[in-house]
Amino acid sequence: MVRIYRLFQGLILVGFLLGSSARPLDALAFGGGEPSVLAAQPEIGDVDWRNHQEIPDYFELVAENDNFQLYVDQSTIAFKVLDKRSGYIWSSNLDEVTKDDKLNKTWTAFARSGISIDYLDQKAISERLSITNSENTLNVNLTEDGFQASVKFIDPSISLVVMVTLEPDGVRVEVPFESIKEEDPDFKLGLLYVYPFFAATKEDSVPGYMFIPDGCGSLVRFGATTKATNILYARYYGSDLGMLASIPYNPMVNRPYNFSIPVIGMVHGHKQNAYISVIEEGASYAQVQMHPAGVITRFNFLFNAFIYNESYFQATNRSGAGVITLQPSTNAYDVKIHYRFLTGDDSDYVGMAKSYQKYLVDKGILQRSADEDGDIGIRLEFLGGEKEKVLIWQRLIPMTTVDQMAGILENLDVKDPEVIYYGWQPLGASSMPPKSLKLDSGLGTVHQLASLADSIVASGGNFYLYLDPQAALMGEKGYSPRYDLAMSITNFNLTGYNNRNEENYYFNFDAVSERYSALSEDVFSELNAGLALDGIGSMLFSDFKSKNVLNRENAIISYQQMLAEDDGITSFYLPNDYMFGYVNAYYDIPLTNNGYVYTTDVVPFLQIVLSGYVPVYGTALNFSSNITDELLRHVDFGVYPSYFLTYDVTAKILNTRSNWIYTSSYAQWGDEIERTYKWLDNLLGPVEGQAIIARKVIVEGVVATTYANGKQIIVNYTNRPFSAGVISVNAKDAVIREVVP
Amino acid sequence: MKKILWLLPIAFILMFTSTSVNAETPYTTWAWGPGGGLIRTQDAYTPLTEIDLPISAAEDLFVTSDGSIFIADTGNGRILELQDFDIVASYGEGILKGPTGLFVDDDGTMYIADGKQDSIVILDRNGNLINQFGRPVEPLFGQDKEFLPRKIAVDARQNLYIISEGSANGIVMMNTNGNFVGYFGANTAKMSLKMILQRLFLTKEQLAQFIKNQAASPSNIAIDRQSLVYTVTAGTSRWESISTFTISGKNIFSGTFGSTSFRDINVSDNGLMITVDGNGQIYEYDVNGALLFVFGAQDTGDQRLGTLVNPTGIDRYEDYIYVLDKDKNVLVVYQTTAFARLVHDGVRLYMDGFYSEAKPYFEEVVNYNGSFIWSYQAIADAYFKERDYSNALAAYKYAENPYGYSQAFWELRNLALQQYLGTALVCLTGLWLLQVVAKRLDKRYRWSNPIRTWFKNLLQYKLVDDFVFMFRFIKQPADSFYYIKKNLRGSLGFAALLYALVVVIRVLSLYCTGFTFSKYPSPAYIRVENEVVIAILLILLWNAANYLVSTISDGEGRVRDVIIGSAYSLFPYVLFALPIALISNILTLNEIFIYNFSLDIMWFWVGLILFLMVKEIHNYSVSETIKNILTTLFTMALFVLTGYILYVLFNQLFDFVSAILQEVRLRG
Repeated sequence: MVRIYRLFQGLILVGFLLGSSARPLDALAFGGGEPSVLAAQPEIGDVDWRNHQEIPDYFELVAENDNFQLYVDQSTIAFKVLDKRSGYIWSSNLDEVTKDDKLNKTWTAFARSGISIDYLDQKAISERLSITNSENTLNVNLTEDGFQASVKFIDPSISLVVMVTLEPDGVRVEVPFESIKEEDPDFKLGLLYVYPFFAATKEDSVPGYMFIPDGCGSLVRFGATTKATNILYARYYGSDLGMLASIPYNPMVNRPYNFSIPVIGMVHGHKQNAYISVIEEGASYAQVQMHPAGVITRFNFLFNAFIYNESYFQATNRSGAGVITLQPSTNAYDVKIHYRFLTGDDSDYVGMAKSYQKYLVDKGILQRSADEDGDIGIRLEFLGGEKEKVLIWQRLIPMTTVDQMAGILENLDVKDPEVIYYGWQPLGASSMPPKSLKLDSGLGTVHQLASLADSIVASGGNFYLYLDPQAALMGEKGYSPRYDLAMSITNFNLTGYNNRNEENYYFNFDAVSERYSALSEDVFSELNAGLALDGIGSMLFSDFKSKNVLNRENAIISYQQMLAEDDGITSFYLPNDYMFGYVNAYYDIPLTNNGYVYTTDVVPFLQIVLSGYVPVYGTALNFSSNITDELLRHVDFGVYPSYFLTYDVTAKILNTRSNWIYTSSYAQWGDEIERTYKWLDNLLGPVEGQAIIARKVIVEGVVATTYANGKQIIVNYTNRPFSAGVISVNAKDAVIREVVP
Repeated sequence: MKKILWLLPIAFILMFTSTSVNAETPYTTWAWGPGGGLIRTQDAYTPLTEIDLPISAAEDLFVTSDGSIFIADTGNGRILELQDFDIVASYGEGILKGPTGLFVDDDGTMYIADGKQDSIVILDRNGNLINQFGRPVEPLFGQDKEFLPRKIAVDARQNLYIISEGSANGIVMMNTNGNFVGYFGANTAKMSLKMILQRLFLTKEQLAQFIKNQAASPSNIAIDRQSLVYTVTAGTSRWESISTFTISGKNIFSGTFGSTSFRDINVSDNGLMITVDGNGQIYEYDVNGALLFVFGAQDTGDQRLGTLVNPTGIDRYEDYIYVLDKDKNVLVVYQTTAFARLVHDGVRLYMDGFYSEAKPYFEEVVNYNGSFIWSYQAIADAYFKERDYSNALAAYKYAENPYGYSQAFWELRNLALQQYLGTALVCLTGLWLLQVVAKRLDKRYRWSNPIRTWFKNLLQYKLVDDFVFMFRFIKQPADSFYYIKKNLRGSLGFAALLYALVVVIRVLSLYCTGFTFSKYPSPAYIRVENEVVIAILLILLWNAANYLVSTISDGEGRVRDVIIGSAYSLFPYVLFALPIALISNILTLNEIFIYNFSLDIMWFWVGLILFLMVKEIHNYSVSETIKNILTTLFTMALFVLTGYILYVLFNQLFDFVSAILQEVRLRG
């Protein structure tokens, strides 16, 4: 009887979730929560939706610990993990493919094999091979906690070793670079697919979703159909400029956010089962491929593919003719992926974020922030000056001198300001920053700056100088185009544009390091200030300058070493995960995703990961077209406000390169800053430095976020007041309350 | 059914008039800024959602005043009606083959241009056929004219305005019975220099092979409550792509910034006009054609919300813009932001003539974005209406509106004149009397003798003498060239000085010209280096070409003579350009004649003296002089051409060498 009841309950639930796949847009429109159906039904006891939940006898148990059992199928190196806490079985592959699955031969092999490769011939034509549909030699050796498989694909003579190890939190998969052998010079390893069908689900048979680190975080719910017309390919940290040479400049387009953390995951049953996969090594050459059901196949799956060789277009004349060539040497890096399994209450995106947070804390990357004085910070970025051309020479337009900045800060009724000085260098924002601390004389003296920095720090704030260490601004003096710049594989200087609409070349690492060390030493010793680093946290490229070739993976290590040498404080604009260890504050954090039409929810994944460890600041609110809504989102996601300010009227820089700052005058924004700060401080102040432990959509448009200290913030995005029990929130407002932890 | 089912929640969203911002907008938004350029601004619209529809290659969209959406489902040969994004009806199945244009009037009557059967179909509210007709039979329509109806609009008196593909005569006007009424609002054909040259040199047979130079036919049409017709035309220049016609067919837009690939246009009752182009860019204007916002981006496969692949129709309902995408088969919905709502509210009041009421809105807009110059226009008009002329003057200057500025200045000047004219006249008369008396006394007592002798002594200096010599040209230009030729007066040094003066005065006069008359809205836009380079280049080219031409055509002048002569010929410019520029500061457009006429006189004078210079220096007859000057100008043009050809050739050479180097590096 109970069984039938449960089945019935389960069916209703599946029905609900089916319907709910039709509702994603609500969630999108209202601050990115889940619709009430999913969030209000946490007690899912029934497992009737279970997919391939048996372990066939050709799988053998190879390792076991307190939480998990690891099984392997030696013929395909597919593995299964039994979560002993819940009894749920995670499968790395499809056990069998039925007619109904409508997979062709190649796809069947892809789905059944642990790994697949794309190899390239000399003409850069790629061919896919999987374990089950190719001639290969496969040796599986059991190790203490798992197994090790060496595979050799006979045709292209490519061999590699895959190691799977059971860990306390899940499973680790590794492919060491030294194991990769390309014995036939005619064939190169292009792409390596690592367990592409891990946790794949068929259409809407399993309630749940996929997570991708798109913007602040996106969910793609499982469904029978999708709006996607092609699969999502996305390189972590953006594409490799070293292979492209230039980013075309299109001012009409807002560039999409890069995937800044190498984390993907899935939920199988809300609050039931979930996993995340975190790439520890090799992320800079990894590419997420996400297949929602309905594109090519009927399965939902997402995985990491690793790039070892790519073709590129080598132009042979300036009019654009040329040849397609393979890169000269294989990208050298190890692959190390951690699969972390979650169960019960932790099995949602909040739990996934917390699991990643724990991973970062365990590795010593995130450290608890000390600031818990009950007042939030506010980022105030000041434009010092910008240059203009007068007849044939250039002069500085001072927009905010050091004294004016001091005056504004004295006037402004905010606490703990996070002050950034932009355009402080001689001739202002669009000239090259010097190698030693030198202020434009029109703005003030270093001495004045030092005393301002002291007074800001004394009042509980922070002071930073803005610096984009990688950018060699085009048309500017102060660097050697011949020696200092990074080069593409096609032997061009890399060109792009930074977040401030300035076209620039990129320094090679030696130049970055030399310039940065010289300047940072000055700044950290002469001022009580830090550096606000733009560009370097998000822009990662390989450098093919001869004799100095640096691939992306090594560039990460070099950057980390460079930053580790200093002990001054650094904050970052949109940093990737590898910078998290050096981030004292995170600026311009996305409050949304890239808006791919097939993503169904926006979730504050990144904010939850950093909550309690790194204060996060949004983009400058002066450029917002809807401040009220933006502020609600700040409160919901636990993000601190930002403003871009000048003392002088903005019109003065209209004909300069800084004209992307179209509104900034303190006279116009002063009152608004105080108003928004006060409102946000009342709400977010009491949870300063606290981790987010839960987030729930109460009804559509009303979201409750709970913090570690038992405070809960309820945000009402709708135009109507909301009340339920003791809670009541005005339209477009938020409240904070105490809940029993 | 499934699709319809899941459309419901979207309707639910739209019930709240203002929801929060969704995803990152994939595009940036631009507004008309100072100096005739676009500037970044806050988002005006954010993408809200994308609605999948069971349509195929749909070409047109019409939203009625109660919010029902009609879609011309071209591929499926029907009209769909949507309410709250739910398909409620389908019309014309079996009757229509490929509806490409659609208009629905207040009674719900549907007027359809069917592009597949080249006919007009009129259906009633329930989809019953009222009338269907094809090519007009009237001879006035034109004998060999084709009737290829693609788009349609209907005015309050039930005149049908039909866009017929390739119709050079303009929009076809018909009545509901299918009778031809007339042509309306044709575009004009443009002759380019290339075409003129072709017509000059090619034979009739060759010319016949070209496509006829015909006016582009409009690509889409909209009509407003006042029965004003608006069209967009693809394939023309940006500045002619959008027009509006009065009842009599006269285009009243000029110089409206548009796109070369406009697809559709919509005019709403609240004074706003929106258009969409083939690149997925959406342009919003006020009904006078002033650009408010441009935004939008093309979908390059990313499928980001708000990007478009192949938009075909655009319409507005309340705070939402709907765009129909033919390739995606979706309706993309955009939502007005708080910032744009502020602008729209102000525009509506302003368009209705409530200038003072609109002012606070625009003052806030300027607070958000100080470069949004449309607002300054509204603020200035409000000040002007409030008789606050000095503030109006300042605001018109920000708005870069010389007409308004001139009017405000006239008022201010008038006030000043009224106040001070009497005093000024008395003073002037006093000064004049003083001068007369002083002159008389001077004649008697010779007070000024020491000054005279000092001046005479000064003349011993060559440069001073050269300077004084310049004034001789006013009275005896021909004579004076004789002195130059005989080495009696003038020097190369002073000629160089004169040329330098010309360049300096050129630049200065640009800076000093009053706002009303200056072609630059702000001195910041003056490209000094260009002005200097062009002036110097012209001087060099003239001197070189004239000397070279003269030596082979029996001219007597030496290099020195040509250089000095030409320099002195420019003296009217040196003497008068700056004063004219200065005077322009106190003139208004009412006195534009004074300004233009004095400039004309000055240039005519320069021309005349140059002519005399060539004649005297080279000792030519009048006809020889004319010939010489024309040849000189031709030679100058050839110099420029040669320079250009050399530039191109060297570029090629550089390409060639760099390609070889690339190749060597690659293979070697």
